[in-house]
Amino acid sequence: MRFIMLMAANPISDATQPRIAKGVRLQVDSATGKTVLLFPEGIVELNETAQEILSRCDGRTLSEIVSDLAEEYDADPATLVADVRETLADLQQRKLIELT
Amino acid sequence: MPATKTHVNVPRPYALLAEVTYRCPLHCPYCSNPVAVGSAVLSGEHVAQPSPAPNALSRLRIATARQGRAAHATANDGELTTDEWKRVIREAAALGVLQIGFSGGEPLARRDLTELVRAARDANLYTNLITSGIGLDDDRVCDLRDAGLDSVQLSFQSDQPDLSDEIAGAHAHRRKLDVASKIRAAEIPLSLNFVIHRRNIDRLPQMIELAETLGAERVELANVQFYGWAFLNRAALLPTYEQVARAREIATAAKARLAGSMEIFYVLPDYYESRPKPCLNGWGQRYLTVNPIGDVLPCPTASSAIPDLRFENVRARGLDWIWRESESFTRFRGTEWMPEPCRSCPQREIDFGGCRCQAALLTGNAANTDPVCEFSPNRASVDAVLRDVSSSSDHARKWTYRVNPKLLAYL
Repeated sequence: MRFIMLMAANPISDATQPRIAKGVRLQVDSATGKTVLLFPEGIVELNETAQEILSRCDGRTLSEIVSDLAEEYDADPATLVADVRETLADLQQRKLIELT
Repeated sequence: MPATKTHVNVPRPYALLAEVTYRCPLHCPYCSNPVAVGSAVLSGEHVAQPSPAPNALSRLRIATARQGRAAHATANDGELTTDEWKRVIREAAALGVLQIGFSGGEPLARRDLTELVRAARDANLYTNLITSGIGLDDDRVCDLRDAGLDSVQLSFQSDQPDLSDEIAGAHAHRRKLDVASKIRAAEIPLSLNFVIHRRNIDRLPQMIELAETLGAERVELANVQFYGWAFLNRAALLPTYEQVARAREIATAAKARLAGSMEIFYVLPDYYESRPKPCLNGWGQRYLTVNPIGDVLPCPTASSAIPDLRFENVRARGLDWIWRESESFTRFRGTEWMPEPCRSCPQREIDFGGCRCQAALLTGNAANTDPVCEFSPNRASVDAVLRDVSSSSDHARKWTYRVNPKLLAYL
């Protein structure tokens, strides 16, 4: 069982639809109120950014996720997109999400 | 130490290893199960006799048939009941546990496994089945999936049928291949687990290939850790330095090659390391194990490796008290218990002094620094073992096959 931190990796296109991978569960940890990803032998506690992104990984495309977040947080999509890409790429490397 | 060994700031556990039975149809000599369970010592003839030799498999079949008959009448003696396990699962979830691994022995040997998986899902736990696959027919795979099983970790002994069956001491490999495809068909995420040792380590590329062929999401390549039966069989299992160095290269390359398609989790052979593994991420910090008779252990191997520690039982105590207050969980929790060189070491909250069971097994005192550590005054004990391995090119050293323990009812 490993508890891992989220780190950076490489880019993803605007039309990509990220989804939570098979065998991975997004769940609220009742002990802390925080959102976690559960997978074989592993738990990742999500930071707020990752949680906001993952809760939108339901068929929406990258550009839709970014514009949703920009609206929600009144932020500039152009600055958000790099963070979102980075987080998704990392989650994909760890097989926690699938990109279609 | 101050009398304030209070229990404020006790961490919450994340994962429960539910060892639902020690019964198993396989006889792998690297098993980490205890060689003897509690006061229920194995019938001496199996442990004491020299290792099975050339016609190991046929002799073993006779031995296990004998054992099977003897154990038949009392197969479940002492094991927790379905309702007791359900209570343990609820108590674990209430303590903060998020994941449960159903393990053993072979968890499928319990007919109530599906019911236990359902209870775990009802408690919102992520459920892993850690299995040899023997006993997993079509109906059972579907029942388990429908009960909410999240993932299966299927053990393989190597990629080759003959070698695998020799290691398992049973004709199992072809059945495992069949089971893997059943798991795939049921669309349950699949991990392949290989325990790596002297006899199969040179097959690492082919084992990774097998995992790819079977469509596993994940493969665990775990160098054997020396506890239980594996400790007894250490001389036959420990790979040479050359084997280990090559395996590391292969695992690293495969990890890079397969990133994003199959996750490779490589467990280091710690005798060859100069710093100890961060065992359990610290004693009583994240994990707890409940064994088949209900003893609650900070680590699955603690009951056999650290005999002077008294373990509590779920039939007598609630899990919450055991986790927070019991001697067995508090003895090595945190850093207060540490001797030098750990006490003043900057790594003390990174590796937590290594493994308590290993310290006990190799130095006779569980409170010592793990002797794998280059700063341990006992490192020589590990080096002596490694010298003995490299001085011999004999890859076919004999081992003793695991046999099923006879449990005594809990008193």
